[in-house]
Amino acid sequence: MKKELRLMKGNEALAEAAILYGCDAYFGYPITPQSEILEYLSNEAAKRTGMVILQAESEIASINMVYGAAGTGKRVMTSSSSPGMSLMQEGISYIACGEIPCVLVNVQRGGPGLGTIQPGQADYFQSVKGGGHGDYKLVTYAPSTVQEMVDFVFDGFDLAFKYRTPVMILTDGALGQMMEKVLLPEQRPRKTEYEPWGSTGKTPDRERNIIYTLSLQPDVMEKWNERLQKKYRSIEANEIRFEAIDCEDADYVLVAYGLVARICQKAAHIARDHGIKVGVFRPITLYPFPYEQLNKVADNVKAFMTVEMNAGQMLEDVKLAVNGKKSVEFYGRMGGMIPSPEDIFAKLEEKLNHPVSKLVGELA
Amino acid sequence: MANNINTVETEVKYTAKDFSSGIDVKWCPGCGDYSILAQVQRSSPDFGAKKEDIVWVSGIGCSSRFPYYMNTYGFHGIHGRAAAIATGVKLANPKLQVWVATGDGDMLSIGGNHFIHACRKNIDLKIVMFNNRIYGLTKGQYSPTSEKGKVTKSSPYGTVDWPFNAIKLATGSGATFVARSMDRDPKHLQEILSRAAKHKGVTFIEVLQNCPIFNDGAFFNLTEKETRADNVVYLEHAKPLVFGEKQNKGIKLDGLNPIIIDLEDGKHSVNDCLVHDETDDNPTRIFLMARFTDIPGYPTPVGVFRNYSKQTYDGDYVQQIEGLKQKMGVGTYDALMFSENTWEVK
Ligand code: SF4
Repeated sequence: MKKELRLMKGNEALAEAAILYGCDAYFGYPITPQSEILEYLSNEAAKRTGMVILQAESEIASINMVYGAAGTGKRVMTSSSSPGMSLMQEGISYIACGEIPCVLVNVQRGGPGLGTIQPGQADYFQSVKGGGHGDYKLVTYAPSTVQEMVDFVFDGFDLAFKYRTPVMILTDGALGQMMEKVLLPEQRPRKTEYEPWGSTGKTPDRERNIIYTLSLQPDVMEKWNERLQKKYRSIEANEIRFEAIDCEDADYVLVAYGLVARICQKAAHIARDHGIKVGVFRPITLYPFPYEQLNKVADNVKAFMTVEMNAGQMLEDVKLAVNGKKSVEFYGRMGGMIPSPEDIFAKLEEKLNHPVSKLVGELA
Repeated sequence: MANNINTVETEVKYTAKDFSSGIDVKWCPGCGDYSILAQVQRSSPDFGAKKEDIVWVSGIGCSSRFPYYMNTYGFHGIHGRAAAIATGVKLANPKLQVWVATGDGDMLSIGGNHFIHACRKNIDLKIVMFNNRIYGLTKGQYSPTSEKGKVTKSSPYGTVDWPFNAIKLATGSGATFVARSMDRDPKHLQEILSRAAKHKGVTFIEVLQNCPIFNDGAFFNLTEKETRADNVVYLEHAKPLVFGEKQNKGIKLDGLNPIIIDLEDGKHSVNDCLVHDETDDNPTRIFLMARFTDIPGYPTPVGVFRNYSKQTYDGDYVQQIEGLKQKMGVGTYDALMFSENTWEVK
């Protein structure tokens, strides 16, 4: 099959990408706004590649089925939306500790609680700072286009297997439902080789393998942690991705991820039409976060404004990155509300005219 | 007893209207949930509790919108967790009459664990499970009661799962009141609800409910006039299992095998039929009847399968505390502070 250009919904494009990557299994449970992933795969996957699709009895079951299937060395994926992702956190901690590669997708909706089925970005902390227990990290990609919903499935699986670690694609309900043109990659074959670390049964030439995450001896468990941390340092050194749009000459920079980064680009255009030089800095990997890259941008601008669909979560990382060099303002919408470019521009102007903090004095 | 919920300490006579919250009901037109709501509201005056002593707890799903529509206290909870939340409510305030509105997905899929444990504990909860054999709220995926081979949005080539038989599950887990009714049999449903209200211990009612949008007609052979008589056997305590248009068929036991007999063939009579005993503490016969729905050609039993009495978790728990208080006296703060394992910080 050749590369193909198609008009697709974000959720469907992501599901299609899993098939094209040669993913072996998907386990999921219906939840709005991402049930199309399960439905699309149920329709398409088995007949095309023989991929296993299973509707589990809950998200807790899904993530544990992922743990089991991925533990055999196969390419395995699950997806859910915010409340369902909360249920998976225990499993994610074990998967990270057990060093099992897999791809997880969170099509975020507004929370907390049952919240709303409208889009949100309030699971940033959960994904980036460790929603489960213990010192683990979850590599987190934040697509901002339907095309990236496809690309990050590929990149996500590659990275998951390269580092033997779970990877999260953190998107939202709007991108999941949005239709855009996508260039689909060619179909890749399913995996046939065994992984030495997989629990796939003992053959004469292979030692048996047990997957576990327990050690009662603290010195052993500390070594284990050190190994994980070493891996995370290596990911931080090599896998950071970001996009700096019109930041070179910018006086002010909007920092945003995912869908909001696109809205910010529009806001930046409006600002430039008004003679204010605004750029957009978009972290693509939320973990590892582009701290140094953003810190460099801080040298040449007057101030930042972080825009998120939450009460200010990435804001904390932006502040860490900027490290006091310049002021960092914030504009957020919650509960499923999406900020418009005009809102963002208005907020930026407001902050320019009425600086809140002392540092913002530089704005005037 | 001041706290006895079975004594309505007020002269006020409720009507169905008193139990309607008046909020706009947001189910699809024609949904069977409307009838269930109406029957609950109509029978609520018979529940033997004041409005303010009734709590409806739900999980997530179409059925779980129920608490919004009842003019009682309510709890729109977490997917699958209604039984656990209701357990908390009941233990925190045992005088409340606690009802659970849930669905086949909510209670049997994600909530299966909490469900069986509520049944095992025999805690005084009244669980009403709307079974439409589909996930309605997420728009039409198969549920744990969908029949094997069911084609849905998430099973375009048919499911390979075996469904749960909810009556068997509840009985096997220890529920002490187990019943089945139907959205389209309002009188029957009202009667079952009123009986459930009076039971002490876990009450489980499976209500067969039509979802006209995603699983229309799933139970029409049971609920519609033309087919009902041949496909439904109404269970009544101490009555033989007889069904059919002219009450001409019966069920008899051959050892442990149920057999359908023709009461007009000259060889069989109603005296041969299995006589239902809902108070039997041996669940074997209940299982036999629950299994009818798993055997092609057998009528679906509707009514109370089981209604027997055994100590309840909440009852025993409260009693245990009272017993300890009597034995050891009511604790005081000082007694606790200066009991064992205290030390002085110098
Ligand atoms: S989806 Fe089905 S069960 Fe849900 S409200 Fe609509 S008709 Fe009723």
